[in-house]
Amino acid sequence: MSDALDVDELRTWLEDGYASSVRTAYLILGNRPDAEDAVQESFLRAWKFRDSLATSSSFKPWLYRVVVNTCNSKLRKEIPHRNRRRPDDDVDDVAMIEDPIGRVTLSYDVISALKDLPAHLRIVVVLRYYADLSERDIAIVIGRQPGTVKSRLNEARRRLALHPALQSEAPSPINVRKEKRS
Amino acid sequence: MTTFDEEMMKRALREAADDFAISDGAVESILDEARNAATSDESPPIRAFIRRNGPVRSTILAAAACVVLLAVAVPLFNSEGTAKKNVPTAIKFAALPRVGTHGGSGAVIAGTGESSLSGQVAAAGTSLSVPVGKTVQKANATSLDGSLRVEEVGTIQLSVGARHFQSALTQLTDFATTDGGFVASTQSHTGTKASHSYSTGTIILQVPERNFTMLVDQIRHAGDATSVATSATDVTGQYVDLQARISALQLSRTQYLKIMTRTNSIGGILSVQNQLNTIQSQIEQLQAQLNLLNSETTYATLTVALSEAGHPVIAPTHPRTGVDKAWHDSLHGFAAGVEWLIRIAGPLLFALLLLGALLVLGRGTWRATERRRGGIR
Repeated sequence: MSDALDVDELRTWLEDGYASSVRTAYLILGNRPDAEDAVQESFLRAWKFRDSLATSSSFKPWLYRVVVNTCNSKLRKEIPHRNRRRPDDDVDDVAMIEDPIGRVTLSYDVISALKDLPAHLRIVVVLRYYADLSERDIAIVIGRQPGTVKSRLNEARRRLALHPALQSEAPSPINVRKEKRS
Repeated sequence: MTTFDEEMMKRALREAADDFAISDGAVESILDEARNAATSDESPPIRAFIRRNGPVRSTILAAAACVVLLAVAVPLFNSEGTAKKNVPTAIKFAALPRVGTHGGSGAVIAGTGESSLSGQVAAAGTSLSVPVGKTVQKANATSLDGSLRVEEVGTIQLSVGARHFQSALTQLTDFATTDGGFVASTQSHTGTKASHSYSTGTIILQVPERNFTMLVDQIRHAGDATSVATSATDVTGQYVDLQARISALQLSRTQYLKIMTRTNSIGGILSVQNQLNTIQSQIEQLQAQLNLLNSETTYATLTVALSEAGHPVIAPTHPRTGVDKAWHDSLHGFAAGVEWLIRIAGPLLFALLLLGALLVLGRGTWRATERRRGGIR
């Protein structure tokens, strides 16, 4: 009976957080199957250890922490043994879509640059700019000090600014700022 | 210089993520998995018990730190506790009687003796000002008891009459031989001063502990003893410690020999043999130390500085006073401080390394547990 109630609670979690979690995992891992696997595993783990949520301050960072740790685990153990640049990677397919206004091209460039970042930098970028977490919440998620988060974000910004994919004439986070300044 | 547009980055990531269409049935699939998992056992929530900043974790860390400190402090204090205890029995003579037939001006008798004693050293840690003869009798009365191992130390400065150096030397040798001892070494020097030749020298005598004070008494009467200083060092603790360690190692050796009779594999035999070799080596080292200590406590060594009247062997030492004393005390204190720092540096470094290793190990274990549990706080 209580399990049924708990599954209902899990349904609530999934309705609230599945979409954002799986997209976060997708941005971190770079492909769809791994992202779906990681998020499914994360939700099951989170639900299994839901009792410890009572001691946690906030549900959102807590859930992201589970997701990020699962993604980290996959990046360490599974994905390095495969070719991460497979032709069927979803993010690569994005570029093949007809894109008259350049929106997909921009996304493709950003994702391409993101994939070239080391995992620990990619995670903080995704959490900051997609999940929209504060630096303090990111620190909770990745289990580091806020200063470390700040340092990693700075390093990630520096690397992204120097990435060739984001140096073209097309609109990009770097070029847009340059245009604004000029 | 290129800069970074955060809003553009947010928009780009959002657009890239929006291209990710949520699969139909993904949520239901997870719910099905959860229903299946609900029937399986749940492991105890260790993390809830040992929280990151919880009291249990603090207690465990404090206990680990205490264990490390104890592990370092106990051997350190034990090593200091088993050090030799100096039991000085220095005897100063304010006005020594002129004894002997040669009319010499003074004598120094320096003796180091080690004896096996059963009683307490009555004069330990005290400084007496008594006539020479009484002093010797006092030391003699307190030196015999089988339960104590004490090293006795004494110095005698002896002055004999002119041209009586050689006869005095022979007499001292006879004393030692008569008392069951022997002459360990002699040194003599002949010089000339104002067309007048003189001799000085040092003789080291070793006699059984029981005759040590008698020998001192005899030598004191052989000339003019200007000063006599003796001291005793209690080495009973060291002696007993060595015996206990040897016994323990012998017991271990017996156990290993039993194990060897039951071992069939070559690897096992070699391993046990290796252990036996190590233990045997330790036993022999400790036995050698024990034998040396035993020898030292059996024979007392007495050094006699012998001189003809007016030609002292050992120049009198003037006690330091004032600035000179302060300067030397300061130097001594500085050296002692450096010695102390060096002495504690090793154990301290070991403690820090051990604590660091424990922290790294604990952190690694903690993080591994976190990963296994999916990073749940």
